[in-house]
Amino acid sequence: MSWALSRRAMLASTVAAPFAGRRAAAQSWPSQTVRIVVPFAPGGTTDLVARLVAAGLQERLGVTVVADNRPGAGATLGSEQVARSAPDGYTLVMSNIASHAIGPTLYGNRVRYDPVKDFAHAALVVTNPSVWVASPSSGIRTLADAAARARSPAGLDVATSGAGSSNHMMVVRMSQLVGKEMNHIPFRGAGPAMQAVIAGQVPMMSDSLPSAASHIRQGSVVAVGMASAARHPAFPDVPTFREQGFDLASDSWFGLSFPAGTPAGIVERLNRETRAFLANPDIRGRFAELGGTPGDLTAEGYTEFVQREVAVWAPLVQASGATAD
Amino acid sequence: MDLFANLAHGFSVALTLNNLMFCLIGCLIGTAIGVLPGIGPVATISLLLPITFGQPATTAIIMLAGIYYGAQYGGSTTAILLNLPGEVSSVVTTLEGYKMARNGRAGAALTVAALGSFFAGTVSTLVVAASGPLLTSVALSFGPADYFSLMFLGLVISAVLAQGSVVKSIGMVTLGVSLGMVGTDVQTGQQRFTFGIPELSDGVGFASMAMGMFGIAEIISNLERPEARSVMSGKIGKLMMTREEFKRATPAVLRGTLVGTMLGILPGGGAALSSFGSYMMERKVSKGRHEFGTGAIEGVAGPESANNAASQTSFIPLLTLGIPANAVMALMVGALIIQGIQPGPRMVEAQPDLFWGLIASMWVGNLMLLVINLPMIGMWVKLLAVPYRYMYPSIMIFCAIGIYSLQNNVFDVYQTALFGVFGYMASKLRLEAAPMLIGFVLGPMMEEHLRRAMLLSRGDAMVFFERPISATMLGIAAIALIAMLLPALRKGKDSALQEGG
Amino acid sequence: MKLNTKDLLSAALLISLAAAGLWLNMDHTLGTARRMGPGYMPALSFGLLLFLGIGVLLLGLFNGPDPIKMWTPAEWGFLFAGAVIGTTAGMMAGGMSGWIGQGWNPLGIGLFVGCMVASVVKSWRPLFLITAAFCLFGLVLETLGLMASITLAVVLSAFADETHHPKGVVGLVIFLCALCWAVFIWELDIRVPVWPVF
Repeated sequence: MSWALSRRAMLASTVAAPFAGRRAAAQSWPSQTVRIVVPFAPGGTTDLVARLVAAGLQERLGVTVVADNRPGAGATLGSEQVARSAPDGYTLVMSNIASHAIGPTLYGNRVRYDPVKDFAHAALVVTNPSVWVASPSSGIRTLADAAARARSPAGLDVATSGAGSSNHMMVVRMSQLVGKEMNHIPFRGAGPAMQAVIAGQVPMMSDSLPSAASHIRQGSVVAVGMASAARHPAFPDVPTFREQGFDLASDSWFGLSFPAGTPAGIVERLNRETRAFLANPDIRGRFAELGGTPGDLTAEGYTEFVQREVAVWAPLVQASGATAD
Repeated sequence: MDLFANLAHGFSVALTLNNLMFCLIGCLIGTAIGVLPGIGPVATISLLLPITFGQPATTAIIMLAGIYYGAQYGGSTTAILLNLPGEVSSVVTTLEGYKMARNGRAGAALTVAALGSFFAGTVSTLVVAASGPLLTSVALSFGPADYFSLMFLGLVISAVLAQGSVVKSIGMVTLGVSLGMVGTDVQTGQQRFTFGIPELSDGVGFASMAMGMFGIAEIISNLERPEARSVMSGKIGKLMMTREEFKRATPAVLRGTLVGTMLGILPGGGAALSSFGSYMMERKVSKGRHEFGTGAIEGVAGPESANNAASQTSFIPLLTLGIPANAVMALMVGALIIQGIQPGPRMVEAQPDLFWGLIASMWVGNLMLLVINLPMIGMWVKLLAVPYRYMYPSIMIFCAIGIYSLQNNVFDVYQTALFGVFGYMASKLRLEAAPMLIGFVLGPMMEEHLRRAMLLSRGDAMVFFERPISATMLGIAAIALIAMLLPALRKGKDSALQEGG
Repeated sequence: MKLNTKDLLSAALLISLAAAGLWLNMDHTLGTARRMGPGYMPALSFGLLLFLGIGVLLLGLFNGPDPIKMWTPAEWGFLFAGAVIGTTAGMMAGGMSGWIGQGWNPLGIGLFVGCMVASVVKSWRPLFLITAAFCLFGLVLETLGLMASITLAVVLSAFADETHHPKGVVGLVIFLCALCWAVFIWELDIRVPVWPVF
């Protein structure tokens, strides 16, 4: 095929140039392609971040770093695969709130890995808060409005990107605080849910900030409450849940994790390189645009972070009554 | 004229050397992955995404868009030549296209697919440019109840796709819907019919089903009938369309373009419905409707135009709302965000280069695809002259690698093998695969919208009749259903078939 | 007689699938019309399938004849033997440790063995040798690599067609190995071992 040549040439000139000499790996690790398993389908926030990180690490590590999508079963399928692969430092998973905090409870004994013990957690990449947005036509402007609507006989419909997500859990927790169950409307992904809110078919949505950010900026939806501890720097006008009298904060997060048993030196090196990459002002800017905060934790710090998240989410998932069986 | 000034600006962006290059690369890659079974645009675009980081946003999106519509183009090639549909839209193309190839009209089928797609692409690009923002309100006016009724109508008319007994084909549609229930329930996260197999938690693979029931089953049937093979490799026929074929295809292309342009605007399912909506229409209204099932050129021209038109207008929700209509669009949103651009209503003013450049490049890309593909038709058709004993192992291997590469999982390979056996059995029993595949694709969407509509209406089913869009769809569906089930019509259909065959 | 054998068999197939589906669906909650449970839609669709299956059955009693070619005793015998031996082989493989019992290998082994047994009968070869070759490809791909899998699958599938000559098959194997390497490895760079990994 003749086009193959032209594409090769293009690739060589446009892409490979910055990474020239990547084969000349000096140290023992890494000496071959590093694979980051993304346990979601292409196109989501996790996938996006993984590709950004892969490109950055490729530059810093001097070997090819690829993102490999292995979606399925609430991100637990890909994670299980990594938990079982050889701890040689060449396979990582994009660990995240679904696969490592919610999934193990949600899917019960069908998740055949321990989210803490079976991994060598290396680095937190990004955290981002949940945000509640309302359709402009709904008349809802504050969480108090939303609570009042929820208590009214008609009730309040709240859209999310899917059952079992951290945004769904937010609806469950908010319902508990309000004292009246909200009408949870799950969608297949954030895009369709956001469209229904923009069109006014559903008055409210519990979403992650990265997928909602552009719509808030454009004014097609109104941000009602930010589920972060303090006001978010990118959206200083949006009050937090706590400010409005609802004691809730929910961050979704993703990071990089090796299978358990990976040599500490490799874990340390990856942590160093990832944090160095995340400290780059250009990258920070891109993440800020997305509404995410780049992580800056040591490997031990991230491990403790995951431990804490598991402890927080397990009872909440159980209380929500959501199961996958 | 604002529009022309804007388009002129768009062309000045699209026709720079760098953008042209990337548009060409995108189209070539797209055509290649469309031709290869299994490998789809989503996987390829996500692989190539990092390459675009180093390029300006406009260039990046032009290339990605090229891959997307290039893949739509390429997909028809294997559907026509080898009975291998890569996507939902090509399922319909196999019905008449492959029959045409067997009659020695592969060249004409491929030509009409290319020309029809180009025409449809041109028209729908103009539509996007002229009234994109306006059409957004159409997409927004569709609520869950309306989507449900649209899907229901789609399922009812998909029974028309079949050649034989209406009851059997409705049965196959229903079987497809039922198979679509396998996997994680969207609303509750519960696993259904997965037997604890993690690979099934995202459902049965469409590609496995399509390749098994069409590609592999076809190989087996051909090997059983040596006489059919010799006919196959013997006839190449004239490459070009005859004057009569051209005359018959023209109205079909026009109708297909209209159907595709309208349905493409609806995110989630619109594009999938467009090609077989057009097929159904041709089968009812075109001059060649008696030849359907034996290789009618309208059955290729209409759906191919419709699916290309739909793939262009499906950019409207992305460009005007910032909402991706499918996984490919979601990747493009990702690519834009990485570049620091927020897709949405303000993109037209904030990024005129990107907006108008992309629109102009769509047309340029379509032209390139035509120029690339027309001369290749001769080469593709020559493939049919290769003795079948060399063809079938090659098809098998390409299917196997393609299906494996989708998820890098051998489970999909075994799944495909099982569907091959099932497809062979079904074809022996005259149970047709096409309605089943359509049911499989539309069924889960229908369930989702049904449940959501009922949640929002607090359990009041009247919502389906109170909303005008929904009520109209249901009305058409009811009429179609009654007409199909009337015994008188069945007799008419049978005799029409006898005339044709 | 106006029995339509094809329709009757189709009806049997549809009805048994519907019955199996409805039976499996008993695990899922139906829910209410307002808040439909996971079992609501499957109950509707499998129910309709059952209904349509019965419809096909009734029509099949009158709209024939449409006979289907009967299988010979040998065809029956080896089909049955293939099913039994294949299932046994798969179950045994599942119980073994090491490569044989890993991942989806038991399924692949079961399918492969079953199809090979059935393809002893010449008239079964197109169906079962192609299926067997496809399964063999999946079975060895991740261990022996792409090149070996292509070779094995092509050689096996060649037996499904009598017009093949050994020379032609060798040529085809070389051609396909080169082509697949160029397209899938060099160009598309898919993640699959090319050569055996141990």
